[in-house]
Amino acid sequence: MVNAASAAGATDAGTGPAAVSVRGLTKRYGDVVACSAVDLELRRGEIHGVLGENGAGKSTLMKVLIGLVQPDAGTIHVDGEQVRVDSPARAGALGIGMVHQHFSLVDELRVWENVVLGERERLDPKHARDLVATIGERYGLAVDPDTRVGDLTAGLRQRVEIIKCLRRDPSIVIFDEPTSVLTPQESEQLFAVLRVAVEREGKAVALVSHKLDEIRRATDTVTILRRGAVVDHGPTDRFDQQSLAQAMVGRAVSLRGDDAAALGVTDAVEDEARHAHERSGASEAAVVLRIEGAVLDRYGHRVLDGVDLEVRAGEIVGVAGVEGNGQVELADVLSSLVALDAGTVVVDGETVPTGRAGAMGAARVGMIPEDRHDAGCVLDMSVAENLALGRVGVGSALRRIDRGSDEAAAIDLIERFEIRCSGPDAPFHSLSGGNQQRVVLARELSGDPKVLVAAQPTRGLDVGAIEFMGAQLRATADAGVGILLISSELEEILHLADRILVMHAGRIVGAMAIEDADVERIGLMMGGVVDAPPPRPRPTGTGEERNG
Amino acid sequence: MFDAIATLLSSDALYDSAFQFSVLFAFAASGEWVAERAGTLNISVEGMLLGGAFGAVVGHQIAGSAIVGLLVGALFGLLIGSVQANLSHRLTANQFVVGLALNVLVLGLTAYLDSSIGFDPARAKVIEVPGLVDLPLIGSAIFGRPWPAYLVYPLVPLLWWAVFRTRWGLEVRAVGENPQAADVSGIDVNARRRQAIYITGITCGMGGAFLVLGQVGTFQSGIVNGRGFIALAAVIFGGWTLRGTLIGCVLFGFVEALTLSIPANGYTIDPFILKAAPYIVALTVVLVFATRVRQPRALAQPFVRGLT
Amino acid sequence: MADVRNRPGLLTGRLASTDTGVTLAAYAVSLIAALALSAVLVSATGGSAGAVLDALLDGSLRSPGAWGLTLTTAAPLLLVATGTIVATRAGLVNIGQEGQVLIGAAFSGYAAVRVGGPGWVVVSATLLFGAVGGGAWAGIAAGLRAWRKVPEVLTTLLLTFVSFPLLTYGLSQSWLLADRDTERQNQLNTGEIIPGDARLPDLRLFGNAIDSGFLVAAGLAAILTLAMARTLLGTRVDMLGFNPRAAQRFGVAAGPLSAAVLVGSGATAGMAGAVLLSGGAAGDRLVFGFAGNFGWDGLLVALLARNRILVALPVALVFATLRTGSSFLAATGVDRKVTDVVQALLVLALLVPPALLFVRDRRRALRSTGPSTAPSTNPTPEAA
Repeated sequence: MVNAASAAGATDAGTGPAAVSVRGLTKRYGDVVACSAVDLELRRGEIHGVLGENGAGKSTLMKVLIGLVQPDAGTIHVDGEQVRVDSPARAGALGIGMVHQHFSLVDELRVWENVVLGERERLDPKHARDLVATIGERYGLAVDPDTRVGDLTAGLRQRVEIIKCLRRDPSIVIFDEPTSVLTPQESEQLFAVLRVAVEREGKAVALVSHKLDEIRRATDTVTILRRGAVVDHGPTDRFDQQSLAQAMVGRAVSLRGDDAAALGVTDAVEDEARHAHERSGASEAAVVLRIEGAVLDRYGHRVLDGVDLEVRAGEIVGVAGVEGNGQVELADVLSSLVALDAGTVVVDGETVPTGRAGAMGAARVGMIPEDRHDAGCVLDMSVAENLALGRVGVGSALRRIDRGSDEAAAIDLIERFEIRCSGPDAPFHSLSGGNQQRVVLARELSGDPKVLVAAQPTRGLDVGAIEFMGAQLRATADAGVGILLISSELEEILHLADRILVMHAGRIVGAMAIEDADVERIGLMMGGVVDAPPPRPRPTGTGEERNG
Repeated sequence: MFDAIATLLSSDALYDSAFQFSVLFAFAASGEWVAERAGTLNISVEGMLLGGAFGAVVGHQIAGSAIVGLLVGALFGLLIGSVQANLSHRLTANQFVVGLALNVLVLGLTAYLDSSIGFDPARAKVIEVPGLVDLPLIGSAIFGRPWPAYLVYPLVPLLWWAVFRTRWGLEVRAVGENPQAADVSGIDVNARRRQAIYITGITCGMGGAFLVLGQVGTFQSGIVNGRGFIALAAVIFGGWTLRGTLIGCVLFGFVEALTLSIPANGYTIDPFILKAAPYIVALTVVLVFATRVRQPRALAQPFVRGLT
Repeated sequence: MADVRNRPGLLTGRLASTDTGVTLAAYAVSLIAALALSAVLVSATGGSAGAVLDALLDGSLRSPGAWGLTLTTAAPLLLVATGTIVATRAGLVNIGQEGQVLIGAAFSGYAAVRVGGPGWVVVSATLLFGAVGGGAWAGIAAGLRAWRKVPEVLTTLLLTFVSFPLLTYGLSQSWLLADRDTERQNQLNTGEIIPGDARLPDLRLFGNAIDSGFLVAAGLAAILTLAMARTLLGTRVDMLGFNPRAAQRFGVAAGPLSAAVLVGSGATAGMAGAVLLSGGAAGDRLVFGFAGNFGWDGLLVALLARNRILVALPVALVFATLRTGSSFLAATGVDRKVTDVVQALLVLALLVPPALLFVRDRRRALRSTGPSTAPSTNPTPEAA
């Protein structure tokens, strides 16, 4: 663990009224209670962690604070005054700002245009440019105001996001899962910025996260949510990993294996990974997926720049990397969605034409996509139809659909994968996110794949669902399927993979066996610092490296 | 052959009518350009032009003044624009379906009212810019026009300024490129899109009024005859830039003018080619330019919050 | 130029709402509003709404032989609508039916007077040529879309405006469509009269003559309904419309399938042109403007039917009623163009309820599934 946790003790909680004080906040969505009588107090000069699993109510709570969601009950006080936050604009006026995870930047606009987007004053380009520079200087977030945002790296885009938030000089700043697009080193830099904001500027900062380590490393006080309710709160140094984890999940957790990975306890997973000799049994198996020299240009950018990798039967190969470094495009290629500009994809000895509709599926490459609503499902069709999608593209168009057998197959899969739905005829869009993901998993595994690509397979799932997914992936690998696990959650990769590849700027910049995993080094590689052995020119030396 | 081309190119009438059509296209295409930058592929341009033309004779009939005619024309255009905008960007009905139904409605309604009421001819006065009007070839074409034509000169820079120099324009561009991001930033995406369509309605209404007051002099049901769709092609030709769009308008203006001045100068080209020429050129232009330039990313995509 | 189609209801008719009472009420209210607006228009221009309705019903149903004529008129509308519905379900925006009908009629007109042989051969050739003509005309748009991703919404429209002068050209050339009978008066720019044995036969029922083109249209509608519901073709078409990226991933190649569907919808429109010509609903020979808005109206029928072929049948009948009835309007002093207004108002009125219900259902869905399924990732699907 790095030193920053000690900073927590240094702050003395401010006296006087809290910057924001939420009392008894309740929000229901139909029968689901997202927040139940939640209390939260943010103070100036303090970084306040909000910890909880996906679905614990963190994001609902924050959306209420910035006016995107109206609560059913409860009060909000800002600096002692009771307020109503009925729109993001009102939140802005009250001095509440939020740094969003995704979604708030327009690629085609310049940095300064993005920074002032959504304000009300007259547009003043010169003033806006100056502001970008001033704020950049004040917080150590330098970025050229005239660059198009689409040309920036993920880390720089987040800088713009932060500048955009700080530009309105909010006294209360909410960071929603800010590290998901950062390397470990960039995360440290971000925490330093947060420190500046609270200590020099006297702001109140809320850091929303599901990762134990981040909360312990960066926050002064913490509020832990579980199933929409506050289960504990207090100064962060009062908690150790074990007690935080237990409060968050609601049961004793081992801080090993699945739990540790799901909770973002890096040390434990790293430690386990180093002793993971029993995992590395598959090195002599046949290569089932080989990608050679994959090059792809999109929108004038080279997004894949000579990717070489291979996956053997029965092993899990993890591709680590910050989002936006070509992972999405790699997954698109393996979903037959785009054709490579150069390079080949070989599945089980056969070259597969990239970009031809259904070719990867026909070569038995299964895919658990990052965004299942993108190419993983058809929202308007039924569960049974979605489970049968793999058969739609095969054979003559005039063949009759055998609804009876499709339905029987669907009922079987619904039972085996414990999909909760009203039946095979239920519209897919009526399912919850976790169950939609199970439908996708069930379909892909029932297709008897040789290779399974899992892109961010646990994003947005709660701990239980993450464990289910991890178990399924491991069982699939044990059954002899080669798995390519693409994830920006380093813990997930450390926990599941037999071998780690690091992706940066459309290239595989590093590779290591799981026993040699080193978070520090992987982090540097993710940031483009290639101190490690350069990418192997021909991906043939795998076994040797592993044994050496 | 070369003689023929030389004769054609040296006829005042060619420049006259080329400019006439260019102005019409510029009214329609510059407004459409705003709507497309905000993310709407607005095919009701045709109906807006026709509505504007009809409004011009209505206004002229009521007040006996071309100014009122122009205003009522713009108002009718705005009215059609507000139906399009609110059905497609408030109720999220499909924008093409709405546009199509509106085109049919306006065509039927104006034809019906025209035949049941009957209107006097309506013309705007010609204003000649002293001195410049005597320039050879283009003098009278540019500087000796019915006055509504001159409105296009302030209109186009005004639209450019609105889109590139104001906060409203920044937000319009943002909702056309990435509505989700604009929404999270606190912009009312569909309100911006509606407003952009209102502007299209006004400029197209003015264009339609110009068609009557400055060009034809009366209302006929076939007066627009697909020229709204050519304005759509001009925006594509321009690669969604205003300058390119205007160049497209001039290009199409010349094509339209040639179809008139070739027979007028006594050359015989098959009338089929003449009548089809603007549309064939438009098709070619769309073919050549459709993929060369990048369109607004969210063009023709509806926005509903929370919709993937 | 992708549309966001992965959403319930709007384009496909698969409305998520289960609340039939509210749905029906919403439709009823908007329909009544549209009709009331039409009545106001008629009254405002000095006509009598009651007299107009009377005249419409007389012309379309009550007068002798009228309903046969109405069915005959419905045939081309239904044909156009059927093809349009399949195209729309595949996510295509074909709005150039008027031109496709016209070119189809031109092709069939050529076949009707040039193909020799027994009547049934000529009639079949007429229909076939119509389909080929309409399909080829839509095929231009399909080709441009496949080759350069040119949006078909614009090309189909522009092609319509090319088709008008193209027909005029054909009618001016005796080697193409012009009447070769130089003896006849007034032959400029008209086609030859279609000989009787090249016509679709009429069915006689209760003193009404119903063109067998209606059977062709109804048969095709039935076949396509079955194909869409029971075969992989239907699933593929729907998948392409709902989520083209998922279609690509699961082996439904968007390029070839959408080209085929677009050509197919052009072919049905072309066949409508053939039925129009050989069934006699629009005269017995080709003239300028022959298609007479049958293409536009057929498109409106498809939109009103909200992309269900079976619903298109009654809608086509309603439109045909307005069309045949409008010939009786002269006596009331109201211009027959009023029926165009009524049709367009009906279309606009029927856009509102599903959109309202969609917005409502969407809000409910968001509420019941909670916030975690709200904005997902990946806001920018690859632009065309």
